[in-house]
Amino acid sequence: MAAAKKELVEKFKAEASRAGALVHEAVDAKDANNYVLKLAQERNVKHAVKSKSKVADKLNLRERLEKADIEVKETTLEEWITQLAGKKQAGRKTIKQMAELISKATGKKLNHDPQVLLNSANRAIKQSCIDADMGISEASVAIAETGTLVITSNSGDSRLVAVLPRIHLTVVDCENIVPTLEDAAARIKPLGKNKADGYISSYVTYITGRNTTADIPGAILARAQGPAEEHILLLNGATSNRGAA
Amino acid sequence: MSRAMTKRVHKALADENLQTALTRLMGLIKFARQIAFTGIDFESLSKEIRRVKEKSIASLPQLVEQFKSKATEAGAIVYEAEDAEDANNYVLKLSQKHDVKHIVKSKSMLGEEIELREHLEQAGIKVTETDIGEWIVQLAGERPAHIVGPAVHKTIEQVAELISKATGQELGTDPQALLDAARSALRQTYIDADMGISGANIAIAETGTLTIVTNEGNGCMATTLPPVHVAVVGYEKIVSSWEDAAAIFRLLSRCTAGMKMPVYISHITGPSLTDAIPGSILHGAGGPGEVHIVLVDNGRLQMREAAEFREALYCIKCGTCLNVCPVFASLAGQTYGHIYQGGIGTVLTAFLHGMDNAEDIASLCLSCMACKEACPAGIDIPRMITKLRASLAEEKGLPWMSKVAYRGILKYPQRLDSTVKAGSYLLQPFADKDSMIRRLPYPLNSLTQAISLPAPTHQPIRDRLKNHWTPKEVGKPKVAFYSGCIAAYAYPEIGEDVINVIKEYGAEPYYPIGQACCGAPAFFAGDFDTALSLAKTNIAALEEMSPDYIVTVCPGCATVIQREYPELTTSEPEWNQRARAISDKIRDFSQLVLELEPSAEKKPSRNRKITYHDPCHLKRGIGISNEPRKLLEREGFELVEMADADACCGFGGHIVLDYPKLSAAILKRKLKNIEATGVDTVVTNCLPCVLQLRGGLDKIHTKTKVIHSAELLSKCREAT
Repeated sequence: MAAAKKELVEKFKAEASRAGALVHEAVDAKDANNYVLKLAQERNVKHAVKSKSKVADKLNLRERLEKADIEVKETTLEEWITQLAGKKQAGRKTIKQMAELISKATGKKLNHDPQVLLNSANRAIKQSCIDADMGISEASVAIAETGTLVITSNSGDSRLVAVLPRIHLTVVDCENIVPTLEDAAARIKPLGKNKADGYISSYVTYITGRNTTADIPGAILARAQGPAEEHILLLNGATSNRGAA
Repeated sequence: MSRAMTKRVHKALADENLQTALTRLMGLIKFARQIAFTGIDFESLSKEIRRVKEKSIASLPQLVEQFKSKATEAGAIVYEAEDAEDANNYVLKLSQKHDVKHIVKSKSMLGEEIELREHLEQAGIKVTETDIGEWIVQLAGERPAHIVGPAVHKTIEQVAELISKATGQELGTDPQALLDAARSALRQTYIDADMGISGANIAIAETGTLTIVTNEGNGCMATTLPPVHVAVVGYEKIVSSWEDAAAIFRLLSRCTAGMKMPVYISHITGPSLTDAIPGSILHGAGGPGEVHIVLVDNGRLQMREAAEFREALYCIKCGTCLNVCPVFASLAGQTYGHIYQGGIGTVLTAFLHGMDNAEDIASLCLSCMACKEACPAGIDIPRMITKLRASLAEEKGLPWMSKVAYRGILKYPQRLDSTVKAGSYLLQPFADKDSMIRRLPYPLNSLTQAISLPAPTHQPIRDRLKNHWTPKEVGKPKVAFYSGCIAAYAYPEIGEDVINVIKEYGAEPYYPIGQACCGAPAFFAGDFDTALSLAKTNIAALEEMSPDYIVTVCPGCATVIQREYPELTTSEPEWNQRARAISDKIRDFSQLVLELEPSAEKKPSRNRKITYHDPCHLKRGIGISNEPRKLLEREGFELVEMADADACCGFGGHIVLDYPKLSAAILKRKLKNIEATGVDTVVTNCLPCVLQLRGGLDKIHTKTKVIHSAELLSKCREAT
């Protein structure tokens, strides 16, 4: 690792830790998976939810946790449907296939109306987030200056996964750590002219450390309304094509 | 100052729960501020915010158009509301259209300003505040006490009772247990809600993005779980770019919570959406399908047009001006009677709730400038409050007593001398042998409740310094001594001290005979005509013998002469030039001594400990805080710093006359800090501060002495 990049990673770790996050820098994919599994087991996690994460998918993190009998539900619609379909039914689904899958998952006979399907999926996904003990996210950018995670997404599940469960874990590829707030802004800003072309995401959520409140007299208390624990898992070259667990 | 306000002030001062909560809060704030501002360059960061806000408000019309177009493009629905009613009706109609039964709301000052929650509740909709502090205030049926910490006026016992009642549990006073109960109760409300309402800390024009900051996480849930999100946003929140927003983030949470960054910053651009279902892009994927943005004017655009008050729109609502305000520390927010409290609240209230409503709040300003010094947007709040008082004075006229005092007496030095002399004989029966007045009869009795007063002199300083009306020795720097009224009438003996010490440092001091009151009482009451007339009298008197320096012993006078005379005379170029020449020559006593003899050696230790109180107008008015300390140490004293040395003693503004009990509460904190040093001498370079501190210490019968540097130095010389 180049010295400058190493320094950036160290700065991010220091700032995030200072703000109350627990940071682990994984030496490799195996270490990353073991870290998450150990954390889940130690915290007695039975149900986890996971919003879209290329890094976690590359690690096969979901499968690794499932093998240890931890339920992991995908929350981003496309991934949720793919998970429902299972390995046998790979690829993009037709509306008819989707209706079948969602009907089966929700136990309700649904017609092919996209809006009806979306509403049902939303309800199921929200409930999973409400019931989960652990949420797993990916930060597309991380800011060294402030130790901030930047989670971007067009769908709201990315936010629910981050705030509802009692433990939140975010995976970050060290390649995506930038020095300042301005550098992050430059990465986040519109890529295209409209949403279909990759316009700015509906949600860009900055998370810095652990949530707190000073509203109850007596003390500044950790865990206000969000998670009790904010974990950050740093990976080097996670998106490059190296093997997983 | 109305009777209702006096009543509220007295009620707050007598409320033990409130005073307990405020003492705790102020301790916490002080601690948090110490951590937050260590190791950063506050000045350059705050200049950045100032730059961003100036630029944004200047180009507001273009930014509004850009924001609207970008937000609409992203799928949000933007509505521009003229006033509170317009905004409230829009949200109510929308709720009715969606058959909304239950709303969750994250904290919004604008929501409080327009009373949105109340409006919706009246229509039978259940609205739950989700910020824990705001929820507590809602449970108590009150309004927020502080723009950042709504429930800061509550004790743990009160909070325990409210949360127990709301959750139907018997909860003790363990904060953790109370927080857990609050969290579960609120969690269910997000899940049940049909609509989420938020404000926005910032709105970014280039992408049409709403930026919502919370530390608790409630902002994320309230804007994501319900199917409809409505944000009410004041026009002044709009900035051009993400980079501009970054400049605000760098200080916002340091100011609000002593944190480097807010825990959650939600940037929301249009509704949630997905393309996972074949057909078209659908709104409402794991988040709201509809996002409504209500841009609210309600007086803001008028404020933008008023050049003298425009900078109030630079406010980022961080609450710093409350956190450092000695008056707020004694009263909390509800006393102000309107939703925007403290310094900035006075100006905001005037424009957003009407001028009439601001008069009372303006009377609660000490003019101590602590807010100005700490504001991350560099807003000169005290100046705006003075301008506000001027507008009120112009509109309504001054109270008759002030009119007589300012225009009939203050304006004419000889008349003032005679009035005080006459007064001194009238008051003599009430003075004790040591010339202190400890009790005055009704209706003046309130003045001697908290402090003992010095008996006015029979021989004002003008008479006493008869032999010094002109400089005598030539070839030495000429130093004009501007005494100010407190020295002239309460402590005229300081005249000789100043003359003696200055002489010793090789200069030629004299007392310009034509000097009058500096005009501060009239100026701060908004009577600019009297202030200008006095400015001219003093400019003429001070420039007469072409002094090299003008030495002052009252920083209030120094500030007015140095900063305000040039301002007051802007429309008269000739006077303005003369005012500027005078302004450049103004020196504090200690500043002058150091300038006259910069390289004097440090004197041997006197084995005497002293503590130093920073007068507000000396430190924040003319920027002198190191010089007095340096001089005292050079003179061989050992300086023991008191806590909050630069906090106001309670004499500022008209508080001491209008709200003597409030002044006493502020003084009490100061005296406590003095006592904690264990030192028996307080030095301060301000005679009004001397008057207040001596008077307060006399009441509590301590032996601690209060002394001006000039007096101390003169005494030391007599002794040797």
